[in-house]
Amino acid sequence: MTAINPIRLDRKRKLTRYAIREHGGNILFMLPAFALFAFVVLVPFIQSIPVSFTDKKAIFAKQWNFVGLENYIKLLKSSSFQDSFLHTAHFTIVYILGANILGLALALMIWRSCRFNNVIRTLLFMPFTVSLVAATKVWSYVYTDVLMPLTGMPSPLGISSQVIYGLAAIAIWRDMGYCMLIYIAALQSIPGEYYEAARVEGANFWHEFKCITLPMIVPAITANVTLVLSWGLRCFDYSQMVINMKAAKTTAVFVYEYIFGNSRAGLGQAGAIILTLVLVILSNIVTTVLRKREVEV
Amino acid sequence: MAQTARSASVYFGKQASHPPRRGILRKALRVIVLLIIVGIVLTPFYISLLYSIKSHSDISLNRLAWPQEPTLNNYVRVIQENKYVAIGFKNSVLTTIPTTLILLLTTSMASYVLARYNSKFYKVMYSLFISGVLVPFQCIMLPLYVNIYNMGLASTNLGFIIARSGFQVSISVLSVTGFVKGIPRDLEQAASIDGCGRLRTFWQIVFPLMTPINVTQLVLNTLFVWNDYSTAVVLLREDSSRTLPLAQIIYFGENMTELNLAFAFFMLSMIPILILYLSTQRFIVAGIMSGAVKG
Repeated sequence: MTAINPIRLDRKRKLTRYAIREHGGNILFMLPAFALFAFVVLVPFIQSIPVSFTDKKAIFAKQWNFVGLENYIKLLKSSSFQDSFLHTAHFTIVYILGANILGLALALMIWRSCRFNNVIRTLLFMPFTVSLVAATKVWSYVYTDVLMPLTGMPSPLGISSQVIYGLAAIAIWRDMGYCMLIYIAALQSIPGEYYEAARVEGANFWHEFKCITLPMIVPAITANVTLVLSWGLRCFDYSQMVINMKAAKTTAVFVYEYIFGNSRAGLGQAGAIILTLVLVILSNIVTTVLRKREVEV
Repeated sequence: MAQTARSASVYFGKQASHPPRRGILRKALRVIVLLIIVGIVLTPFYISLLYSIKSHSDISLNRLAWPQEPTLNNYVRVIQENKYVAIGFKNSVLTTIPTTLILLLTTSMASYVLARYNSKFYKVMYSLFISGVLVPFQCIMLPLYVNIYNMGLASTNLGFIIARSGFQVSISVLSVTGFVKGIPRDLEQAASIDGCGRLRTFWQIVFPLMTPINVTQLVLNTLFVWNDYSTAVVLLREDSSRTLPLAQIIYFGENMTELNLAFAFFMLSMIPILILYLSTQRFIVAGIMSGAVKG
């Protein structure tokens, strides 16, 4: 038999009531955001999975049959889906490398805060404010009216083998400023003593970069690479702007055309699920690989 | 996340500083290289401005030369001749402002809770919110369109506002939570000891401290909504509901011959955003750096 201490019980009940009020308040705080998120992302995502296993045709079709994995098998064998996937992958790789290498190089040049550097930062971030639609259109004229007279190269947007590079260059132009800002933040958080110590030991720029800077900014690299990866894989607008080029068709455009254009919603949805899976798997791989290289301050 | 919390110290602590390497030649070289890079990066802006203030005959004569008589006539003509410009502007303004305000209120409240509580329930909620970052719009667009259509909200501003803000929640929660983690708790604790209620503590103490990230979010979300094409093309299927990017695509398609007009339209849709960005740039640049924002 355990004696019940009345005072303790009372305190316990009070705590519980307090906890209920606290957590209730928290839930109310999260509710509006969660409701929006659930309505737009969570519920449609759950709804989208079964559709990919059916032969649903039009968007509003009332009748469809369950076809199992047929859509997935069909897609993986289809050369137009494979092509669209290769284009997406090609675009994403060029885009990740370009945006990150240029972003980091710029960050290394202007990470110190002074008036001149701040102005340069503001200007380099400016392309990020332009819509992808407008960016692609304006760049098509930059390619033909500026680049061609200067270098004699025809616009890459008109050549099948180069169109992906042409589009990736636009994407890099637009987003390297964003990567740059995140790298600048990371560079500013490295303690200056590390460099002082390295310089006493006679380290040159390259040593410092390899042994101090690079290991210290791994979290920023992780953030930027996963971010650009997800932007790259869902690339839609750029490719939609040069839609007459078959060589520029990405998976996102493929999915859009199958669902809303060709009335083969089931098949298109399966393509979208594959795209999502690839995105989830790749960003997990990137995060795990880079996390291992993180160092504690 | 560790990095996020650390870089929020830009606002709440001092910055680290490395010793600079010296040398005048080196300095001059750096400035020249930077100016060249900025020149290249700004070329598309220059071209758009140039084409938009040239007359039709001028642009066909010599595209890159500075115009003989700079004119704003193209802007006037675009607004007067194409009714979709006005419709596009109206729809873009009427969807962008509510979406950014909704996101500001909902995500700042949710992120505050997610940043301050660490029990399992809140961790699960956080992961759920964040998982949305990995879902491409193409994956959810079919069920989302059907749901919104069934509610009678397809091709309406309201439908677009709901869809766009819902899709943006994950990204905003991610960056705002990262920022709130870097805000010291002392003030909140003092307020609650003084008998200040939850809601009041949030609005009067935490929310003002979140100003840097809130301004950043406001402007970034404005950019994303104003420039959005992939959501708009799915949800807004009637002429009267088109936003600017949709109107632009159609206009560019129809007016390949009159480049000056097309570029005037492009400049018109870009100017409000550029003004917004340049007037808040100090916050934006610092805010992105502090939140390690994912967009």
